[in-house]
Amino acid sequence: MDFRDGAHNLYHIIVASLHIGKLRYLAVVIESEEAHQTSKVIKLLQWLDSVGVKNVCLYDMNGVLKKSKDTIFQIMKNAKSIEEVNEDVTHHAPDHMTLEFVSYVDGKEAVAKAANLIFVENFKRHDIGGELDHQILLESHLNQALQIVGCKGPEPDLLLVYGPVRSHLGFPPWRIRYTEIVHMGSLNFMRYGSLIKAIYNFTKVRHNYGT
Amino acid sequence: MLLLLANMFSLRLPIPLEKTLITSLPKTSTTYSAYSGMTRFQVCHRYLSNSITKRGTSVVAFQDEADGEIFVDEDFLEVDPLPVELQPELMPKHVAVIMDGNGRWAKMKGLPTSAGHVAGTQSFKRIVKLCYGWGIKVLTVFAFSMDNWIRPKVETEFLLNLFERSILSQVEECKRKGIQISVIGDTSKLPKSLKSMIANAEETTKENPKFQLILAVSYSGKYDVVQACKSVAKKVQDGLLHLEEINENIIEKELETNCTEFPYPDLLIRTSGELRVSNFLLWQLAYTEFFFNQKLWPDFGKDEFVEALSSFQNRQRRYGGRH
Repeated sequence: MDFRDGAHNLYHIIVASLHIGKLRYLAVVIESEEAHQTSKVIKLLQWLDSVGVKNVCLYDMNGVLKKSKDTIFQIMKNAKSIEEVNEDVTHHAPDHMTLEFVSYVDGKEAVAKAANLIFVENFKRHDIGGELDHQILLESHLNQALQIVGCKGPEPDLLLVYGPVRSHLGFPPWRIRYTEIVHMGSLNFMRYGSLIKAIYNFTKVRHNYGT
Repeated sequence: MLLLLANMFSLRLPIPLEKTLITSLPKTSTTYSAYSGMTRFQVCHRYLSNSITKRGTSVVAFQDEADGEIFVDEDFLEVDPLPVELQPELMPKHVAVIMDGNGRWAKMKGLPTSAGHVAGTQSFKRIVKLCYGWGIKVLTVFAFSMDNWIRPKVETEFLLNLFERSILSQVEECKRKGIQISVIGDTSKLPKSLKSMIANAEETTKENPKFQLILAVSYSGKYDVVQACKSVAKKVQDGLLHLEEINENIIEKELETNCTEFPYPDLLIRTSGELRVSNFLLWQLAYTEFFFNQKLWPDFGKDEFVEALSSFQNRQRRYGGRH
């Protein structure tokens, strides 16, 4: 048995011990230049599938991954798009992967659209005798409006950044309040072991939210 | 996670350099004048003060532009010179910090939580001084999160009371030093006296700033976006904006960080090993470089700050500025 066999067996042990249920939704941010490497993206998704991570949001700023969507679904035959899945993705049975494709326009621009939607509704109500109240806008209203304009994905538990910069590169800001952010380095040098380590570390962490 | 501004700087007016060996003062950094009519610069030299000789000490000195007389700012007698591994032209303009770990630090040492906050104050003082001395323009600290309101009432009241007394004791001195204090967050929940204190501090320190300190109190990133949208709605209602004009740029201008010339942090530091932004500056962090450090906040010192800045600068050198 050589070193690689040993490492492989070790990974199996670690994967088997993962409390993967804690990772309900994973986001992967890829720097747009690197996102052109569709084969690497698919390999990453296959690794995630094998580990038991079923709900994945793929993001790159320029929408390169969106353009690769068809190719990815051709290879990942057991994957479905989040638009196809009706139920709350974090609760569906783990027989298939759910993939969401997101880019910069789904972030700040989407918030602007959602806010606009609320304003239009509010002014409509005013026109037909309702009350015009600019203070009516609450966080919950924005949440609902974002769903309407197409931003259905939940807040990821973990966000992996592949690229040279330790930044989430404009991932939808409304969705990363308590998301763990891990920089993985360049996609060119992605390693299965590093991926397992990042997921393992996440599942170990105890989260204090404000206390 | 609440800062204490008590004794941030024990400030006095600059003193004349009567017993110094300074003969010529090369201008190593000339930016804004902290004092009207004076040029500020920082030099490394040896000087005598009474019987104490300090070697290789960096001081902040001021030269009167009218008569050339030189004064030393005594509070910066020990300003650390910029480490050789850092380049002044690559310093981030805006650094944001999530000062996490005071409570855990205290618990590890068998001390009450309040002791952790006191220790955290020293780290805060250090960071402010280093940012001020090293040419960083804006420092934003996450002092009290909107999520922190779930803590016991006794604790939150104690912390906010401490915060109020700290601001009261430091305002005039910040004004003299050219440190502009700004507070962002939902102040509606704060005690009336603290609200008044904040308003006074902001008004008092707003002139001729050379450094801006932004304190995020009762703040959340989502709250910031919501209040920005409300401001936009008000402008539409008042006829100042049309609905068709609303886009992300319009919303950005209404965020609370529009109180600064540099609203987007270049670097975010979070201590204590947590890897989250915890609802801090959500909109503003799109291209911010993250630096997560394992040290608990009271243990975060100059070395750790240099490491963060060095990491930032290395990436800037390799990959350039923001998109």
